[in-house]
Amino acid sequence: MTSKKRILRYMTKRVIVYVITLFISFSIVFLFLRLIPGDPITRYLRMLEQRYSYSMEMLDIVVKWKAELGLEGDLFTQYSRYIQNLFLRLDLGPSFVAFPTPVQDLILTRLPWTIALLGVATLISWSIGTLAGVILGWKRGTKFDSTLFTIALCMSQVPYYIAAIFLVLLLAYVFPVFPSRYAFSPGVQIKLSLDFISSVLYHSFLPALSIVLTSAFGWLISARFLTISIIGEDYLLFAQAKGLKANRVLNRYILRNALLPQATGLAMSLGFIVNGAYLVEWVFSYPGIGGLLQYAINLVDYNTIQGIILMSIFTVLTANLIMDLIYPLIDPRIRSGER
Amino acid sequence: MMNTLKLKKGLKSAASFFARSTAFRVGIIMLSLILLLALLEPVINGYILKGKGPLKTGVFDKYLPPSLEHPLGTDHYGRDVLALLLASLKYSLLIGAFAGLIATLIGTTIASLSGYFGGKVDLILNSVTNGMLVIPSFPILIAIAAYIRLDLITMCLVLAIFSWAWSARLVRAQILSMKERPYIELAKVSGFHSFEIMFLEILPNMAPFIIMGLINSIMGAMFAETGLRVLGLGPGEIPSLGLMISWALTFGAISIGRYNLLVAPAGALVLVFISLNLINIGLEEIFNPRLKKITGL
Repeated sequence: MTSKKRILRYMTKRVIVYVITLFISFSIVFLFLRLIPGDPITRYLRMLEQRYSYSMEMLDIVVKWKAELGLEGDLFTQYSRYIQNLFLRLDLGPSFVAFPTPVQDLILTRLPWTIALLGVATLISWSIGTLAGVILGWKRGTKFDSTLFTIALCMSQVPYYIAAIFLVLLLAYVFPVFPSRYAFSPGVQIKLSLDFISSVLYHSFLPALSIVLTSAFGWLISARFLTISIIGEDYLLFAQAKGLKANRVLNRYILRNALLPQATGLAMSLGFIVNGAYLVEWVFSYPGIGGLLQYAINLVDYNTIQGIILMSIFTVLTANLIMDLIYPLIDPRIRSGER
Repeated sequence: MMNTLKLKKGLKSAASFFARSTAFRVGIIMLSLILLLALLEPVINGYILKGKGPLKTGVFDKYLPPSLEHPLGTDHYGRDVLALLLASLKYSLLIGAFAGLIATLIGTTIASLSGYFGGKVDLILNSVTNGMLVIPSFPILIAIAAYIRLDLITMCLVLAIFSWAWSARLVRAQILSMKERPYIELAKVSGFHSFEIMFLEILPNMAPFIIMGLINSIMGAMFAETGLRVLGLGPGEIPSLGLMISWALTFGAISIGRYNLLVAPAGALVLVFISLNLINIGLEEIFNPRLKKITGL
């Protein structure tokens, strides 16, 4: 088999696995939500009644809304309709609160905020962490190494939202340097202007910092571990014995070999990153998906909650697929099928 | 005679654990202090509250600053923050430990089945495990907590269902590497049944890794529990560190400068997480000698 064919086969296999996993996890989430006792619409109406003293002829409304919100019929009818709408029309159903706006529209207006914040923060923390880890591993045993490594050990498991809380306290209240909430100042108009962009950057500093601060240390620990185990390998000894410059050894032999497992780790931990980020958004009243989820929970908006869960799963699985497809480009071993 | 010998050996190995890893030593000392505080909760709270429950509102004045009488001040309902903190700490640890234990039980069972049967069973169980790891479980947990009234036990069960995968992966990896060791080969050659090998040879040697998995699961469960509580979900009648954070944020304690209401529960959580993490790293250093060279602490 030529190497091109091999890559093609590898990629097709990955894509098929991806589609199956996506389908199964969507089905599981769907069934799981239906297993929860109690009717979502009755629940929603009761909430309206309690909080806003709406008194309505409950039963009529429940029946009417069930049809409109796509919650009518037995489990199988609901399921097949939902899957059809989802895969053929990319339709997640109407939101309860903002009826008849479909859930995907709500999500789409929020998604750019989350992706920008989370994407940038994750990339920054991964790069800083990996680079710092490689350098610490290279300079292992020095005072610099042990100090930073001890700090990393302590910090790496602190949940993002706790870091966010401390940062808000310190930099927004005790020393009011940065804003404590929202993605931009209330007076600024949303358009492509210098004012808007600088306001967004200014407001995103604290939430991004809380993600970077905690997760960079995790990447640092794993990169340092990788570096030190690479230093023990024969090929590195050979490279050094050949008299290669330290810079070249660090770049070509250590960094390159450490990158692949680090990238795998990044793909593996995406779900975890997403989990933590929703709460960071909550702490900062950030207008992203986390904020929408909080809003939906508060108003028991069933379709929106379901839509956000599916969207999160979709994002994480797709990011994993992209990682899998990029592997052959960075790892020659997969390219030649040695693995 | 035999027993005292065993005890001596046990004590000796415990002492050598302490000597072999600074991370482990610091972590154990920190966690013991935290556990001691949680265990002494009834005594301390009995003294502070004179028989009233820590959640009872209006016992003291609102928003008192820290003083000798109220070392951490009082909150918006006039409750003593130290008393609340200790009660919350107790429940947070309890939920974390219980959920972690169930999760480890599930995880270890799945990993053992995976390692024992191998082949197709391993393939299926391993993809389920990886799927659980990849899927962001927190939104699903939120949906469950938003629609079901959780009590202490159901809360633990739900948390366990979403945190077993970490220990399953860790234990499976160890079982796979252990299956290749020479003494397992020897057992196979000497005609041991694979069932015996799995449960008599491999699992007992897995103890340290199961404990690491347990600690991972406890941290995962506490992470999720606190997250749910920060959002204001879960059983409202059971105090929790996350719930205290939620109160401090929603009742605006920060904007009127009562930082103690937020720093106390958040700080306690950080200390718990750091101590558990240090113990885990210490254990890894001790039982993974390759790593010991590496951390060099």
